[in-house]
Amino acid sequence: MPEYKGLKMPAKASAEEMRQIHIEPVPDDQKVEMAIQYLDEMRKKFRSFVLAMESCVKCGLCAENCHTYLGTRDPNNIPTNRAELIRKIYRRYFTLEGRWFGKLVGAEDLNLDIIEQWYSYFYQCNECRRCAHVCPFGIDTCEVTMIGRQILHWLGIVPKLHASVGAAMERTGNHTGLTKPAIVDTLEFLSEEIKDEFGVDVEFPVDKEGADIMYVPSSADFLLNPYTLMGAGMFFTYIGANWTIPSTITEAGNFGLLFDQQHTMRHNFTRLLHAAQKLGVKKIVWGECGHGWRAWKMYLPGMADLPLRWPITHIHDEVAYYIRTNQLKLDPYKLGRPVTLHDPCNYVRACGLAETMRTVIRACVADFREMYPNKENNFCCGGGSAILFDDPEMYQLRIKFSQKKAEQVRATGVGKDGNGILCAPCSICKAQLYPMVEEHELGVEVKGLIDLVGMALVWK
Amino acid sequence: MPSINVNGVEIEQDEDGFIVDPSLWNEDVAKALAAQEGISELTEEHWKVVNYLRNYYLQFQIAPMIRKLCKETGFSLKKIYELFPSGPAKGACKVAGLPKPTGCV
Repeated sequence: MPEYKGLKMPAKASAEEMRQIHIEPVPDDQKVEMAIQYLDEMRKKFRSFVLAMESCVKCGLCAENCHTYLGTRDPNNIPTNRAELIRKIYRRYFTLEGRWFGKLVGAEDLNLDIIEQWYSYFYQCNECRRCAHVCPFGIDTCEVTMIGRQILHWLGIVPKLHASVGAAMERTGNHTGLTKPAIVDTLEFLSEEIKDEFGVDVEFPVDKEGADIMYVPSSADFLLNPYTLMGAGMFFTYIGANWTIPSTITEAGNFGLLFDQQHTMRHNFTRLLHAAQKLGVKKIVWGECGHGWRAWKMYLPGMADLPLRWPITHIHDEVAYYIRTNQLKLDPYKLGRPVTLHDPCNYVRACGLAETMRTVIRACVADFREMYPNKENNFCCGGGSAILFDDPEMYQLRIKFSQKKAEQVRATGVGKDGNGILCAPCSICKAQLYPMVEEHELGVEVKGLIDLVGMALVWK
Repeated sequence: MPSINVNGVEIEQDEDGFIVDPSLWNEDVAKALAAQEGISELTEEHWKVVNYLRNYYLQFQIAPMIRKLCKETGFSLKKIYELFPSGPAKGACKVAGLPKPTGCV
């Protein structure tokens, strides 16, 4: 972990790694000047950001509602204080009172130390938007984190993890660097696994031209989440869909949302539309990925630079539709294990999937226990916005960030006998929770929601 | 940047100990990387995992699905953690000279 005056921060991408995502790092002696210029551009463009800068009255309601503050008790992790790291600069350069009275009104000159502080604290924010949900003024502090990260990106300061994902996406069309032969090999392996475990024949067509449905899974499913892919394959087979997985964009995520909402996010959108056109599909169905679903559902329509000719739905909505219309036979007693549901933040606070997920889980699981608070009030898993750093000190932070989640899971009692399931239908949540359920000794196994659908299906 | 000297060849590593150029890997490099992981001796079982990962990587330019690794080597995930305490990705893949996995993993 790089050391900078006692600040905790993830490893930074090197200059060469930044060039791979088309950024020429700004030299130190120009960083302050450029950061002010970028901040000026941002405030002129985004009213949500100006609202956050101008309206906060420091009521403090966000403090106890933020799991990163609850886990670390670091005052800079109180959402309004985190925003203050940028607000004091905004005040200094873009308000009359700040220019005239400086420190007297809480304004401060920008310097390199503050830029490093931005890097440390904007990458300790999970972008979960629970603070935005409770703010009486409707300030979305997450927007401040996003703008902070955007400015840092343009300066050439991005975590190695995020930059390497950006580069892998451009190189291969997915975040983990899967090649087409690896995609095909893994899917053939899963066909055999499904045959062995469930006794049904499921094929995973790749790049099938003329398919009706293009299914876009998370690339992490190919390494870590076999049942999520298997469940999707079984569902599409069960309903008799003419479907395919595109090898040119085998990625439900879009890290552009997390570090570069301009170039990176838009390029991923374009890649998707090209794939849909090439394969001639009629509809795009999205896999389990929280931030990705927010990006594709909420940002794509406004950012696509091509006509949007395809409906894009989430696989949970598809499954829920088939359940509501009695077209899926599911046996909730097959699983025989207690299950609780972790609501991925982006699903419930950005995309309205809370009830959809419950329609699905209740049909698949007899012993389903809610955790509290839940739905749009739920706490983040602590991995949000890919805070999945694994160097020892950042990993310790992840344990602290997931403390609240661990308390919630424990209170449900699903892990009491060591056979519980924590359903977390998002790749980042899964990657965070796989090690965290062990760290907190919760007695549960982490699974996706489509995983449970595949397990509960009753075949004719 | 850290590096490791094996038989007089200086091999560059990233912050997490993964070798930067996977083509410089050989069995002696694996032994040196294992030592850094706190594995004093690579047994036949270790080599079974390392060789499977290595060959899969040479064929597909990526690590296999963890479930496939377990199935093909006949080891449970628990057993792989016993062999490589940092786990399949951060332990076994590192010793096998694969690049650090990226994405939501």
